[in-house]
Amino acid sequence: MENEILHEHEILVIGGGLSGLRASIEALRSGRDVAVLSKVHPLRSHSVAAQGGINAALGNTPDRGDDDWKDHAFDTVKGSDYLADQDAVDILCKKAPEAVIELEHMGTVFSRFDNGKIAQRPFGGAGFPRTCYAADRTGHNLLHTLYEQSISGKIKFYDEYFVTSLVKEDEKCVGCAALDVREGTLHAFSGNVILATGGFGRIYNRSTNALINTGDGAFLAYDIGAALEDMEFIQFHPTTLYGSNILITEGARGEGAYLKNSEGERFMNDYAPDAMELAPRDIVARAIITEVNEGRGIEDEYVHLDLTHLGEEKIKERLPGIRQIAMDFADVDPVKEPIPVQPGQHYSMGGILVDNDCETDVPGLYAAGECSCVSVHGANRLGGNSLLETVVFGKIAGKKASEEVKDKEIDESIFMDAVEKDRKLIDPIVEKKDGILYSEILKELRESMFHHFGVFRDGEMMKEGLEKIRSLKEKFEDVYVGSDDKKFNQALIRTLELRNMLLISEIVAIGAIEREESRGSHYRTDFTERIDEKYLKHTVVRKGEEGPELEYSPVNLDRFEVKEREY
Amino acid sequence: MKLRIFRYDGEGSHYDEFQVPHESGQTVLDALFYIQENLDDSLSFRYSCRGAVCGSCAMLINKVPRLACRTQVKSLVEGEDDAEIKHYPALDKGDEIPEGAVLIEPLPHLPVEKDLIVDQDKFFEYYRDIEPMLKTEGKVPEKEYEMSPKEVNELEEYTNCILCAACFGACPVDGENEDYRGPAALAKLYRFHIDPRDNEDRLELADHEDGWWACEFHTNCRKVCPKNVPPNIAIGKARSQLQKEDE
Repeated sequence: MENEILHEHEILVIGGGLSGLRASIEALRSGRDVAVLSKVHPLRSHSVAAQGGINAALGNTPDRGDDDWKDHAFDTVKGSDYLADQDAVDILCKKAPEAVIELEHMGTVFSRFDNGKIAQRPFGGAGFPRTCYAADRTGHNLLHTLYEQSISGKIKFYDEYFVTSLVKEDEKCVGCAALDVREGTLHAFSGNVILATGGFGRIYNRSTNALINTGDGAFLAYDIGAALEDMEFIQFHPTTLYGSNILITEGARGEGAYLKNSEGERFMNDYAPDAMELAPRDIVARAIITEVNEGRGIEDEYVHLDLTHLGEEKIKERLPGIRQIAMDFADVDPVKEPIPVQPGQHYSMGGILVDNDCETDVPGLYAAGECSCVSVHGANRLGGNSLLETVVFGKIAGKKASEEVKDKEIDESIFMDAVEKDRKLIDPIVEKKDGILYSEILKELRESMFHHFGVFRDGEMMKEGLEKIRSLKEKFEDVYVGSDDKKFNQALIRTLELRNMLLISEIVAIGAIEREESRGSHYRTDFTERIDEKYLKHTVVRKGEEGPELEYSPVNLDRFEVKEREY
Repeated sequence: MKLRIFRYDGEGSHYDEFQVPHESGQTVLDALFYIQENLDDSLSFRYSCRGAVCGSCAMLINKVPRLACRTQVKSLVEGEDDAEIKHYPALDKGDEIPEGAVLIEPLPHLPVEKDLIVDQDKFFEYYRDIEPMLKTEGKVPEKEYEMSPKEVNELEEYTNCILCAACFGACPVDGENEDYRGPAALAKLYRFHIDPRDNEDRLELADHEDGWWACEFHTNCRKVCPKNVPPNIAIGKARSQLQKEDE
């Protein structure tokens, strides 16, 4: 009899955002039987929210001459505070032009210069206008394009499946188990696994991320023995809308917007006199918090992002999405008045450790995009490089995973055991009638992460924070779900996400406490200098007998000399 | 503040009322989360971006299809709600809007799966039917296809669609004719038709009584679109081009 809950494929892509879809398309092109599992419909993935653009040294800007991918690589490495692996950055930047052109050929409607070429705007930390864009809806346009390319019928989509665990056989990853959210039933899937699950921003209460960004992939990988890298490096975007923390793109500053404090001063002059508003994100975020802390914020909470001098026409043409967001969510029309902004969590530089072929250290398991760490962003990612990473490394992951598909008899019992194990995890949570609800623990977790592991960090504060996380992990032992519905039991899903987030938070905390220096997004008030002799190294965390075990690994420094970072 | 919410668990349906504390800037989605996190964790609704870009949370709010994340509660309870759409039969099916409260129901014209979650399979089937992928023939340029900013602007009107299905739930024709492809699919088809890079004859794909010709120009689609996409204009232009070709 055919096993109705075991689904056999060659490639399983977990996550339907840009990295996942690009990987799927590549695996399909390699002739593989591909399935995409996603806990939401792929078009609801967080990639859709990316605004400002995608970097590539096309050199399209009129009267600016040629751009060079090596300059892009230099800006990326400098922006990373020299923690990025320079051989990986080479791949990213060298392949950028062809990746952007491919997206255009697939159907993306990029904004254009008058000469008909793809328009490019200046972005933070970049020495050249290198960011290609589709108004301020670049992620939306790219995601819809890749989805269009992926629905030819040959890729099998399992929409609204929440992956509960990865399946291992003889130290190799051979598939996964997942909950069909619509029906509430557990299934098993066989194939090489590509994780493309995005970041874990929602461990913070102030985040630009979609509510679904809960670090599921990093948890799954860690749980079967893969390493996580540089997890303490969390990017705080300087300009998120005060109140809802919805992203206000760096493209606004790229187009010329000013940051002003309560005295109406362009305060970036005190922090990065050359780059001003277009200094890298870590520097601008710290500047804003400093202004607010020193009493020059507005309502002691935020600063102003002023676009008014750009004029109505430019705002409507280049930044229509931002205008709509400001009007819908803050009742502010940026044509007439400044937008209230504050820093908020935005991106996870760290993630599942992979080599330049997107292989983790568990055979059969690959990762790409924000859930992974190649590392091309190091300690601070430049704007416009994350979309680029998704397509460049999504493609590589799809290709590599396809090359390594092996004909092998499926041992059904291993998959049935995995399903049974997850059933034993889920059933008691649903059957339990009282205890603590996920929502209570989640709220405390998010608040403490922002408080203890935010823009400015300090050893004592962080140790308190780690204690807090561990006490919440204990509380989680008593978690229960009120609803016993099988169909769309979202409380159950959110509880499982919380399990993932608690572990991720602990690993962020451990990495941050151990790194006694300031580098990129990781800024410590008790160790304000970058200390290359000791910490020009990647943090690597693996699952040990008694919890997370930390070690360091070298950074690839092939191309550029390590220098002070000045803007 | 009172929310009256449609409930369905696969068997019977009913309405539940919840009292939710009002907060400044609160959206309908925020209020739904308040209920799920504090009052009844069995309440189900789709969500993701909470910033009106992902298209997950289209539902019927005070008898108008809209995104829960983009709808301010205050505007609804204080009578500042200026959304006006043409009335259609699906709006008569559920409860009436209670005085001073917010009525939240699933999007019409698609089968309800649970509470506020509808089965969008048919909506996406019609989207796939129009073959929404760029088709180019002949020589592909080495670099990008050149396009004027004007051409891009016209395309953007349609590429802005987030496939939330609000228009599908607002279209009176979709309520009567279940084979009608609906505003979003037709607007998408038109987007590929006007794409200067695409050289397939696109219009004929919907040149039938359940395609371009089914639209009755109620224009609810445009009124409810959170991204101001004008499917009615696409349909009108497509029809007049087809008529010209006939002549």
